Amino acid sequence: MDLIIEYQGQLLSGTWVTIKLALLSLVLAVLFGLLGAWAKLSKNILAQKIGAAYTAIVRGVPDLVLILLVFFGGQELANSIGTLTGLWDYAEISQFAAGVGTIGVVFGGYMTETFRGAILAIPKGQIEAGVACGMSRLVIFRRVIWPQMVVYALPGFSNNWLVQIKSTALVSVIGLQDVVYNGFVAGRSTRELFTFMFAVLMIYLVLTAISDVGLRWLDKKYSKGIVRSEDG
Amino acid sequence: MSEASADHAALEVVDLHKSFGDVEVIRGVSMSAHKGDVISILGASGSGKSTFLRCINLLEIPNAGDVFVAGEKILMHTSKSGRYEPEDIHQVERLRARLGMVFQSFNLWSHMTVIENVIEAPVHVLKIPKAEAIEQAEVLLNKVGILERKDYYPAQLSGGQMQRVAIARGLAMNPEVMLFDEPTSALDPELVGEVLKVMRDLAEEGRTMLVVTHEMGFARDVSSEVVFLHEGRVEEQGEPTQMFKNPNSDRFRKFLSRTMQ
Repeated sequence: MDLIIEYQGQLLSGTWVTIKLALLSLVLAVLFGLLGAWAKLSKNILAQKIGAAYTAIVRGVPDLVLILLVFFGGQELANSIGTLTGLWDYAEISQFAAGVGTIGVVFGGYMTETFRGAILAIPKGQIEAGVACGMSRLVIFRRVIWPQMVVYALPGFSNNWLVQIKSTALVSVIGLQDVVYNGFVAGRSTRELFTFMFAVLMIYLVLTAISDVGLRWLDKKYSKGIVRSEDG
Repeated sequence: MSEASADHAALEVVDLHKSFGDVEVIRGVSMSAHKGDVISILGASGSGKSTFLRCINLLEIPNAGDVFVAGEKILMHTSKSGRYEPEDIHQVERLRARLGMVFQSFNLWSHMTVIENVIEAPVHVLKIPKAEAIEQAEVLLNKVGILERKDYYPAQLSGGQMQRVAIARGLAMNPEVMLFDEPTSALDPELVGEVLKVMRDLAEEGRTMLVVTHEMGFARDVSSEVVFLHEGRVEEQGEPTQMFKNPNSDRFRKFLSRTMQ
């Protein structure tokens, strides 16, 4: 316990990095998820194909491989583009940006499927009713689709989010000092790996428990009228 | 059809055609409804009557033909790829707002209460102040006899109640014409009456209505005109009493004898 208190600064700063990483990549994942769902449900065949390729690739490849590819491969790519065009000598991709970008894009693939399913679950007649009274597509999305989509998407969304928080641990591999990285370093230098990894475990549990409260609040806020519905 | 003329029909449809793939469902139907007209559209299933109604507010895009709402023509053109389509979606949205629609399966928004359903389009399409919309919605809900359930969600209502709310939702836009697409076909038999009564009251008030229906009693007793569709064409149309007593076409006579037992 004394050791933990001694290293609390590192653990807390690591936790803060993990939280920032998770939240920012969540925002990105939701954006990509909405975009992907829109593409996959679009009447435009090109958009459909891009959407299908996106989810097939990001869901079919290990996150770790993508993170390494983006961080190291992206570095090389940026440098060769710089040399080729003469615009810059040396570019550096930050570990944080690589982490947020990769995790956001990967989980955007999962969110795409979650959102797509949720939109399909909304009875088509309700959208038609909006069309019939002269609503624009934007109003229909905002007033009819979105509030119901949230409810149908919430179970899948919660699942994705919990997996996503845990996936942020992968960035420690590229040297980003998140809670796992800092815990591991502290554990090794004090030879108390078990103590520190146990502390890290508890930190993750606290984070996921807090998320659970937030998700429940969302569910309560949006499930008006719908959960009780038998006929959909 | 002069757009400036003052005595234009509330709704006018001219030579409408609609195909699904190779199947031509509507083969040139024209119809006009003047203020206060109640037109019942009858026909066997597959006659194209629902499709015709859905083409009027462009829920289905027709392949040819014109629709005029209160004298204003919905502008259509043929795209580069050869599709007949609306020229200006904003015009379409504006004119849709002047046609109330009641669906067979109600299509109430399930995340909104009864009153929220009714004020939704007035507030978000017509931009009426919310307080005013609520006041007006309460009058309409009272008229369809469901004011006491204004804070219920659709899932807590019976089919007949839901359909009455859907009618109030359509009326809330103060539309030129109300379109009814088989409004009682999804209801349990004992609930049909309450919906028909509301529709009868509207007819008496002088509402202009187009009603696709299987309710022969309503067609005969309430409507001012009956149109019988067969295979996408108008087979017979006229004043209901006359048409029911003395059908001109064999097909309508057979249809009557099948449905009026």
